Amino acid sequence: MTLASFADHASLLLLGAGLLFWFWGTWPLLESRTYLSKLHALSVADTLGSTLMLLGLLLRIPGQWPLLVLALVALILWNTIFGYVLANCWLDSRREPKP
Amino acid sequence: MRRLLPLLLTTSFRLAVWCLLTADLSRLNLLIGLVVALLLPRAHSRPLPLRALLRALGRSLLAVPQAYLEALRLIFGPEPVEAEISESATEGSIPLLVFLDVFRITLTPFTIVLGLEDGGRRYRIHAMKPGPRHGGQTP
Repeated sequence: MTLASFADHASLLLLGAGLLFWFWGTWPLLESRTYLSKLHALSVADTLGSTLMLLGLLLRIPGQWPLLVLALVALILWNTIFGYVLANCWLDSRREPKP
Repeated sequence: MRRLLPLLLTTSFRLAVWCLLTADLSRLNLLIGLVVALLLPRAHSRPLPLRALLRALGRSLLAVPQAYLEALRLIFGPEPVEAEISESATEGSIPLLVFLDVFRITLTPFTIVLGLEDGGRRYRIHAMKPGPRHGGQTP
């Protein structure tokens, strides 16, 4: 197996795994679960699934690595901190006295 | 050195983002990036202990493979149980270290930081703990 075809197969595998993570993490949004357990599932979909997809793309189009690496870093940082912001807002809304 | 470290860190981070964005390492582009990095406004920063920073960075990087392991356990493991726990902050007074702690804890699918409590000395964490296995017929 040549290096190019190995990269091709590996990138397909990563893209597929990322898509699987996406669907697994997005499905709980439609169910009647608690808000925070949906956030836990979303961190699997949004952060980890999208990271796998970007790694797959990195193998597929290595010429675009600067932008893909930038997207990777921004995505991991932004998604994670946004998850914290949503959780923190939920906590604040729970603390407010009920009218 | 401890006072200079925040300036060095922010400038090099901004320069790295500039280089990735422009994908150009020519001398002129580096100079423009450096000027932009220095001209952008900076938050008032406190002296940063290098050892604590390196430790926090290392732990944050280790959280990435750990996050994938936890994701697989969440997908294939038994139904998890929700719980609220609290963890002491490594260095509650330095914003960058608090940021790295919050990042490390929230990145892993089992735990999300809800906020700081006890005057910034502890993190309030919502956790999904792996539940009991449904094996056999025992009650």
